[in-house]
Amino acid sequence: MTKVTPLADAVASVLPGSHVALSGFATARCPMAFAHEVIRQGIKGLTVSQCVAGIDADILVGAGAVDKVINGGGSRGRSGQHSCIVRAYEEGKLDSEESSSLSMVFRYLAGALGLPFIPIRSLQGSDILKRLEQISPPVVSRLNDPFSGEEWLVLKPLIPDVAVVQVPYADSEGNAWILGPLWDNEEQAKSSKRVIVITERLVSTDEIRRDPSRTVIPGFRVSHVVHLPFSAHPTSVYDLYDFDVKHIQLYAKESKTTDGFSTYLDEYVYGVDDHWGYLDLVGGMEHLNTLIADPVLGY
Amino acid sequence: MTSTLEYSSFELMAVAGARELKDGEIVAVGLGLPVVACFLAKRTHAPNISIILELGVVDPEPIEIGSGLSDPRFWYRAKALTSFVDMLGMVLHKGLVDVGFLGGLEVDAYGNLNTTQLGDPKGKIRRFTGSGGGNDIASSARRTIVIIRHEARKLKEAVSFITSPGYLRGSGDREKAGLVGGPSVVITDKAVFDFDEESRRMRVRSIHPDTSIEDVLANMAFIPIVPDEIQQTEAPSAEEIHLIHEVIDPEGMYR
Repeated sequence: MTKVTPLADAVASVLPGSHVALSGFATARCPMAFAHEVIRQGIKGLTVSQCVAGIDADILVGAGAVDKVINGGGSRGRSGQHSCIVRAYEEGKLDSEESSSLSMVFRYLAGALGLPFIPIRSLQGSDILKRLEQISPPVVSRLNDPFSGEEWLVLKPLIPDVAVVQVPYADSEGNAWILGPLWDNEEQAKSSKRVIVITERLVSTDEIRRDPSRTVIPGFRVSHVVHLPFSAHPTSVYDLYDFDVKHIQLYAKESKTTDGFSTYLDEYVYGVDDHWGYLDLVGGMEHLNTLIADPVLGY
Repeated sequence: MTSTLEYSSFELMAVAGARELKDGEIVAVGLGLPVVACFLAKRTHAPNISIILELGVVDPEPIEIGSGLSDPRFWYRAKALTSFVDMLGMVLHKGLVDVGFLGGLEVDAYGNLNTTQLGDPKGKIRRFTGSGGGNDIASSARRTIVIIRHEARKLKEAVSFITSPGYLRGSGDREKAGLVGGPSVVITDKAVFDFDEESRRMRVRSIHPDTSIEDVLANMAFIPIVPDEIQQTEAPSAEEIHLIHEVIDPEGMYR
């Protein structure tokens, strides 16, 4: 059964106030076209989660679509802090449930395995833990190991309503390949109640069956498949295209202030009808062609 | 010969970091200067170290240094591309990481690190990156190496927020919290520090060439333990500087 739908329909299936896990990591494999459409449709009150914050979360927070961020921290690396997230925290406009990369992936893993909690050595003795202990209902607790008697910190599983995963290849059933490092994406997708796959290339199921060891997300977990090229732009998709340094610099500059960020949104999100309009605006095929990855390098 | 060799303080720190690594070790690294230190060690005395990046990259051989963990330049020619659960879980949490490199906004007299937030004089909180894998590495690596700029605002008696625990408030505290390992050295652009075995307070191990103990202490907001005899950090060799300039960071991103 085909699950291929237009982006607008997949986005419309995300209910206001729901918990959305995002597949991005800093400037890699962020579902940007998805985020833009969420903003255009005016969906609000979201909780977004991911191990390390990406531009996907930053733009959603900047546009006022998000009430709460659950992550292990994060920045864009050398191109600076996620300004919209930082600003929203500093102005007290955003709930934060910040832990660490491993804490996040253990919470997704516990959710994916159907476990009630997961022990972890991280966070002990830190102020991150003190902050998490203030959260109600609790997300951390302590427990004695029934075998050794040793005390352990335990974390609550994370079970997002939907994971939105940006992938290079998928078929119409949603069987999805990811190439390159997976960061949290497998545990994230498998802990979520359902998955929306945003794929750069739509391939046949025969193609998937030819190399099934690349499949990270089997189709039975997937509710929608959206086929859109360059839908992670300006972030990268390993083996297909590089991140767009100039556009990320533009985003970094504009997102530093509230005014600059609304100018950016007006131009690149509200100022276009859809993803095709966005691709034309950022330079069209002539520009996008310069980002296409060298098959040896993968970028 | 070393007196005529030109190098920056960043290069000196990278060389000092590289020399802390032993051949065959598993090293967890994030971004920046530690990356240069690891690749330098690998090309000199420690060819068999395994480098791991938290997002799922084992032993890459980048030809361009990249802008951060998420930059695919940093993943080039990896031996394995996996995931957080593999790197931070099945390697780090299992106890297999020998050394983790950490940096931060501030470090204190007991090696605790803050990468989360700073207060300004008006009482406003400024937010920064947070943990990422930093807290996890500080909690589970056998030892950690902290690399930080030598400035009084960065070297504090107590950090304002513990993102990544060192020895907490000293002797026995870390063990009580259920943590293993701990920071072995702190490398700045003026000195290398280690930690007293009993009190766990930071101690001057060596000061860099062309600096004095007075200069080192004048730029710290706390007084470390100062031994009677102060060693000098060994200067970088011509080969080490050549490797950094020509092979590891030819574009000079970290100089």
